[in-house]
Amino acid sequence: MSERDLVVHLARFAGALRAGGVRVSLSDEIDGAIALTLVDLLDRDEVRRALLVSLRIRPGDRATFEELFHRFWIEGVVSPHHPAAMMRVVEPVGAAGAPRPSPVVSARVSENSPASRQDEPEPEGGIPGYSPEALLRKKPFDECTPEELEEMERLLASLSVKLATRKSRRLAPTRGPGVVDLRRSFRRAVGAGGELRWLARRARVVERPNLVVLCDTSGSMDTHAQFVLAFMLSLERVAKRVELFAFNTSLTRLTVRRGKGRRGEMGGGLARFAAEVPDWSGGTRLGECLADFVERYAAPLVDSKTTVVIVSDGLDRGDPEILIRAMRAIRSRAWKVIWLNPLLGDPRYQPLARGMEAALPFVDRFAPAHNLESLERFITRLEVA
Amino acid sequence: MRPEIRALQEALAGEGYIAEPAIATALFLAQEMNKPLLIEGDAGVGKTDVAKVLARVLGTELIRLQCYEGLDVNTALYEWNYQRQLLRLRIAERDGQDPSQLEDLIFGREYLLERPLLRAITRREGPAVLLVDEIDRADDGFEAFLLEVLSDFQVTIPELGTIKAEHVPYVVLTSNRTREIGDAVRRRCLYLDIPHPSLEKEVRIIRTKVPGVSERLADQIARFVQALRGRRLARSPGVAETIDWAQALTRLHQDRLDPETVRETLGCLVKDRRDIDELSDAELSALVAQTAEAAAG
Repeated sequence: MSERDLVVHLARFAGALRAGGVRVSLSDEIDGAIALTLVDLLDRDEVRRALLVSLRIRPGDRATFEELFHRFWIEGVVSPHHPAAMMRVVEPVGAAGAPRPSPVVSARVSENSPASRQDEPEPEGGIPGYSPEALLRKKPFDECTPEELEEMERLLASLSVKLATRKSRRLAPTRGPGVVDLRRSFRRAVGAGGELRWLARRARVVERPNLVVLCDTSGSMDTHAQFVLAFMLSLERVAKRVELFAFNTSLTRLTVRRGKGRRGEMGGGLARFAAEVPDWSGGTRLGECLADFVERYAAPLVDSKTTVVIVSDGLDRGDPEILIRAMRAIRSRAWKVIWLNPLLGDPRYQPLARGMEAALPFVDRFAPAHNLESLERFITRLEVA
Repeated sequence: MRPEIRALQEALAGEGYIAEPAIATALFLAQEMNKPLLIEGDAGVGKTDVAKVLARVLGTELIRLQCYEGLDVNTALYEWNYQRQLLRLRIAERDGQDPSQLEDLIFGREYLLERPLLRAITRREGPAVLLVDEIDRADDGFEAFLLEVLSDFQVTIPELGTIKAEHVPYVVLTSNRTREIGDAVRRRCLYLDIPHPSLEKEVRIIRTKVPGVSERLADQIARFVQALRGRRLARSPGVAETIDWAQALTRLHQDRLDPETVRETLGCLVKDRRDIDELSDAELSALVAQTAEAAAG
């Protein structure tokens, strides 16, 4: 295989990886081409290892890579179709035989490369035999006047802002109180002939933490579906980095449309989220869903700067041990775990929630959120720290 | 396998690091392509050791930057030695010199405290190995700053001007995956994921690192640890823990595993109280019996 053929082959391979959902950018591809010039091409394993390193294949994409590698580099089967656009960028590098892309090339590549992987395919249609709008209409919250609903939205917005704020450990110059900043103080002193006349100070910066919100959408939460939805929508508006999940019998990661949507546009958001969540108002498998979250998403999404908010009534029919394990794992990774329970304080609510009891030791803040008053009280006590 | 990669693998082994071909290939490519290497993996799989042993193989200095939340440019790059500057000013004052004319002097190189990144760039004796450890702990702001340094290996200090690297260092970044590393950094680096070692590799590591250990014990230890990893503990033991444990067991003159000793020394291996509580005596005995059987068969 000539060097040129090799580059073509690599481009097809990369195209197949992309089609398989693996994020491979054009700069990865260029690095792959360079790496192939540096290794023993007759040694399949070495080619495989070189491509793993240079295409930056993450552990999660390993299986797809292995499968396609086998097809492309061992069986030699190549799909006849490949985007020609890809070739235009790769070719100059191969042709020039340059050991490294020139800055110009890489600059152009980064401009051309798709910024992110294609949008996830939209889930198709709604769930047959179920209409969240119809459900909502039956709910007590629907008895609220429009003014009251507006009030709820306003409160949720301020809750979202508070949740989305956190004091960083990073220190930044401040005019107010703070620790003495020797660097800046001395710097002034040096300018003033060694006279230390003024002490500069630094204080912790208030920054926006990452938010991960898990909302219970099972049947027992139906009465509060409106609350849950309004909460999700208001978070979407204010938080910079928020990840939304819905769970009932299974866990669904929701597509977040940042900064979109305006207040009072509940309907659109409702339809959008509802389309994504299978089995809305079905049963609950709280423990299993949280365990699934830990397994699949905790590592990349939850870190010491992340606030995890769980909105659920804590009703769980499963093994509490599973829930405890999951909560412990979340607690050990997250900066703060907050549990909002819309059913707490509701006279019809029977506190039989085994799951809730099991999860409580791992929660930093546990608050009822069944009506406007409780929500307001929670927000005022939630300090920024 | 390309001879250079094999040679590198052997050199790493010579320094006591058992490297799979994947690790040797990644290091070779990073050197040849002049790119930083980003290594991800669970705690204790030997990410940091890759950089340490690479420095020894290359016979160069290892410069380490430990990341933490709140790490800032003053700690990572440079700081002026204010105390010395002030002292110099006082002396000038006593001698009746005009302090304002001293500015060039006190903002000279000898008043500059070099922090790891600057030191890696200004090292004259040849390229160093720069280890940026646990990059996932630093904030994303620092990541962006690091990206700038890694892309052109030059640093601008307002009072001094731009300092360009004498030799471009070999850069190794490690991450425990507590958060996703930004795409920009990822794209700038080559990428290596180090999984927990295979049974054979772990046996070899134990035998290399703990000379007094018998073959049978090393085999049993490795099997036991691998079985524990399969049990999904809150904190899975890494290779570092395996080595600690093997050392403890040889100090106790054990030549095979028995449930009592395992229970007594479990703290070397499992470092989470809840995990220790969860492993019942019966389960430990079963694991020991199972590993003894597998090792014999």
